[in-house]
Amino acid sequence: MRPRRILTPWVLMAPALAVALIFHVVPFFRTVQLSFTDFRLASGGQYVGLENFGALATSDVFWLSAGNTLLYVVVVVPLLVVLPLLLAMLVQPKIPGMSFFRASFYTPVIASMVVVGLIWVFLLKERGPVNWLFQTLSIVQEPLPFLTDGTLLLFSCMLVTVWKGLGFYMVIYLTALANVPGELHEAAQVDGAGGIRRFWSVTVPSVRPTMLLVGVLSAIAAMKVYAEIFVIAGPTAGPGGTVRSLVFTIREVGSGFDGQVGYAAAMSLVLFVFTIGLTVALQKLSRENVEA
Amino acid sequence: MTLNRTRRALGAAAAASGLALALAGCSLEGVDTGSEASADELSTVEGEISFATLELSSNPDLAKYIEDTIAAFEDEYPGTEVEWIDVPFAGAQEKFAADAAAGNLPDVVNMNPNFAQPLEREGVFMDIDQADPELASEYVEGAWKGFQVPGTEGTFGVPWYLTSEVTMYNADLYEKAGLDPDDAPETFEELYEDAAAISKAGAGAYYGLHPALENRFLTDLAKIGVPLIDEDLVWTFNTPEAVEHVEMLAEMYQSGVFPADSVTQTLNDAKEGYQAGTVAVFPSGPNFLNGIEQNAPQVFENTRVAPQIAAEGEPINMSVMGLLIPKTSENKGTALAFTKFITNAENQLAFSKVAPVLPSVTEALEDPFFQDDSDGTELSKAIKLSANGLERAENLTPVQYDDQVKNAVLAKIQLALTGELSATDALDQAVEAANEITGGGE
Repeated sequence: MRPRRILTPWVLMAPALAVALIFHVVPFFRTVQLSFTDFRLASGGQYVGLENFGALATSDVFWLSAGNTLLYVVVVVPLLVVLPLLLAMLVQPKIPGMSFFRASFYTPVIASMVVVGLIWVFLLKERGPVNWLFQTLSIVQEPLPFLTDGTLLLFSCMLVTVWKGLGFYMVIYLTALANVPGELHEAAQVDGAGGIRRFWSVTVPSVRPTMLLVGVLSAIAAMKVYAEIFVIAGPTAGPGGTVRSLVFTIREVGSGFDGQVGYAAAMSLVLFVFTIGLTVALQKLSRENVEA
Repeated sequence: MTLNRTRRALGAAAAASGLALALAGCSLEGVDTGSEASADELSTVEGEISFATLELSSNPDLAKYIEDTIAAFEDEYPGTEVEWIDVPFAGAQEKFAADAAAGNLPDVVNMNPNFAQPLEREGVFMDIDQADPELASEYVEGAWKGFQVPGTEGTFGVPWYLTSEVTMYNADLYEKAGLDPDDAPETFEELYEDAAAISKAGAGAYYGLHPALENRFLTDLAKIGVPLIDEDLVWTFNTPEAVEHVEMLAEMYQSGVFPADSVTQTLNDAKEGYQAGTVAVFPSGPNFLNGIEQNAPQVFENTRVAPQIAAEGEPINMSVMGLLIPKTSENKGTALAFTKFITNAENQLAFSKVAPVLPSVTEALEDPFFQDDSDGTELSKAIKLSANGLERAENLTPVQYDDQVKNAVLAKIQLALTGELSATDALDQAVEAANEITGGGE
């Protein structure tokens, strides 16, 4: 093969490679390097070995953030794997007016998280529509403190994440559902299978790879949760700062002229390892399922 | 084989260049601090300088004022040229931090003391006391002190424009609660009594006061005489007086004097509440009146103003915006001349006539403009009240109270308000958290 033909693909890839290098590879190396320093923007820094990681291990704030992030993944991911599938099945039939519902469910995806957060803050106020509804239906006697109680605040944030993500994952499922052969459903129906049985025996096995993809994507998104918490729980992350996620804490300690950038970089690296670990675990699960 | 080798070589080259690039940007140095100006440098007023302001160009009148002032400076000092850069407030800190790291800060930068303090601690800005020892006497004392760091020598900025809050209140809500709208609260006790009466009358539809912890918690402590931070930069605000204050806030929150969700809300929510007519009292600078007039004309009609509240003998609060000259500036003489020019009495008076802010030079404050409220508007009354309060005003927010410290402190105070921590424990933990972040007492 002539050298020119070897170089051509590299030349074509050069812009994309340059972007990846400048905006991903270099910042990644820089983060790794900074995580071993006590760097602050204003004063600079020096190498401190594993000091930052040692400090993380004994930091209550770090473990609180990590615990909340893990809880976020555990609650949000199953909901974002199951609910959009049900929603996709609901809006899949090609009947007049259905496209309106598809577009409606997708709207939160394109809305800014800040706008979505502010809408939910209004809905969840102690004297807001949700509490009014609950009280009118006699579900509760006193309004629920969705925005001031530490535990409820975290679940309020999760609710927003799920609500905003539904439309996006619904579209992914719609594509997968369109590829499920109709004959499979017909054959199952002839064999006497009802709707629920066909869902478990035909739909779920057919879209399982997509469910795993949605699981991975929503898990990565849940690991990075920040805006929901900032908008709904406020800049302190709720009373006592108890609703903080890892990214919230990373931003808090690392930003500003005086931010502890080295410490924040170490935390980012730990988050990176957690995320990679989770992704690898889900991929392994995916392979085992395919083999089974 | 050849193809594989070439691929491997290209791959290795890409990886090596990536690593090289990564390492090239891996300096661990802090900001470039430059050097102090020599007498020669300071006496040379010529050449080009850049001048960065914080979000002033969005107001066309202000933009014109800045452009005209720059033109007047260039006329007075032939051979000089000023390039004006207006930076949006959001993200300004990151931009200035990056500029400082690169030794590339504009020659004259508009910042508030809290914004500038971490850079000043590294010695980024010129000491104005050293550059022009006579200058301090021309400015409002409290404002000049705003650019001094406790325990260190010198002043690292020149105060430019000031705002000092007044008590704004909704006369309509006062009347609805059976209170006399002409009898404005003058003490914290009166304020809290009025707030309780209004919230009771509002029964959830409107409230007397929003705690706006983000904005007022620490300054209110200073206004009742609680020492916030000592000379050794150790936070000290867990005093018995502070405990009493927090206990009162908690009682008011739990008894419904404040809106139920207010404990986690920000200053913006308090502003919105006042503009929506659901909060009766909102302490703010006179410039907020323009916003109310624009966004909520009905509330503006009902708005009355009164002096800022502080305990007897204690200072009131003011916000200071200043101009700072980085030591990396290549035209320090021009930068200093421009700073003095734009903050002189004539130019600051003109500024105050365009925007409802107060000048930092005492000479400008003596102008009848700040004492003339004969037009009967709340704006002119607010400007007069605000200007007259400057004598006892200080920037009460310590420069060390950055976002990280503020969030750590307020997180504990929120727990006191919701009743999950006692006021004593909340304040002790808040002080401990603040000292841990700022290294107080080390």
